[in-house]
Amino acid sequence: MHMNDLMARALAGALIGLAAVPGGKEAWAQQRTTIQLTLKNHRFEPAEPHAPAGQPLIILLRNLDQTPAEFESKTLRVEKVVVGGGQVNINIRPLAAGRYRFFDDFHEETQGFLVVE
Amino acid sequence: MAFPFALEGTYNEIETKYIFGFTDGSDIGAEGEKAIELETNGAFRKRHGRYSAIEQEVEFEAVPTQFFAYELSAHGMAHAISGVDGLDDLHRVTPSGLSARFRYLLIGRGPGSPIGLTVTAEPEWSRVDGTSGIFTRSFGSNFKILADTELIPNRLFAAANLSYAPEIDKAVGEPVWTRSSTFGTTGALAWRFTPKVTVGAEVEYFRAYESFGFKNFQGHAMYVGPTLYIQITNKMMFAAAYSTQVAGHAAGDDQPLDLANFSRHRARLRFEYEF
Repeated sequence: MHMNDLMARALAGALIGLAAVPGGKEAWAQQRTTIQLTLKNHRFEPAEPHAPAGQPLIILLRNLDQTPAEFESKTLRVEKVVVGGGQVNINIRPLAAGRYRFFDDFHEETQGFLVVE
Repeated sequence: MAFPFALEGTYNEIETKYIFGFTDGSDIGAEGEKAIELETNGAFRKRHGRYSAIEQEVEFEAVPTQFFAYELSAHGMAHAISGVDGLDDLHRVTPSGLSARFRYLLIGRGPGSPIGLTVTAEPEWSRVDGTSGIFTRSFGSNFKILADTELIPNRLFAAANLSYAPEIDKAVGEPVWTRSSTFGTTGALAWRFTPKVTVGAEVEYFRAYESFGFKNFQGHAMYVGPTLYIQITNKMMFAAAYSTQVAGHAAGDDQPLDLANFSRHRARLRFEYEF
């Protein structure tokens, strides 16, 4: 019993420590910039949306195709399935300036770049 | 050559989490990812006799945010030991424990930073001693700092890990709990020689203590070995690593290599299916 208590405390301490690391929770509460994105004929429109650096973003993705798609980006660190004819909202943390590739994981030739400046 | 060994294709971004073998990459995955993973770890050869210890993990992984990922794992172990100095002969396959792994991304590699940095904690409960195979009660955790970078964008990667793994255990029938810990540092290079296949090499160095700190030094070992990573499909990957002990020494033992606290050879296989 004593050992179980010890391990539970150690685990709780580790989790609290990880949660306390500064990483952007306060940033999530800031005003978000909205990016409208559509997917039609397996093409993103616009293919290179622009966004300001250092602000949280929200991507509103409308899939105008009848087939499902999976919005994914390694550098944005998000993936989300959107059904045919559907819409999803994707929250993005504040980003540094640069080009962030995104793509449809179900049709990888379908890609675009989020240009943060 | 057939997919995924085709040389043609585009070298887009790759997730570095598993491309370095025993060394972990800093990537934690994408928010929204869920995956099932099979991980097999083998340890082979001790001083004299025959020795193999294979641990099989079944893991569920999830990435709930862009900064945090976790894994929940069930473990089983198979031991085949005969004629090894200091160990009883044993042939047994048994469920061995449960663990979790928490990854927190401090710095994401990408346009804003050439370096990725992640901290992890892996608490584990085990009912089987990993080395001897005897029944025990042990609690431990492996804490790591993971760093990696792209030396050539999307082609050549480097990573380094620092680890500290304290453990407390008590064999069945024994009255006293024993403290131990292992400190480790590893470094790895990975070269993506096709868009789907990455090969590499790594060096690992470990020091074992019979305490939570640096007291009661038990031995040290250095391993080197190759690594392989194959992105089978967008949702499936396979990774393999092998390493052999090339230097080391056990406290109180004049012979080369530390085969009391570490094995001569190690191997790891990973298969992941994302859904």
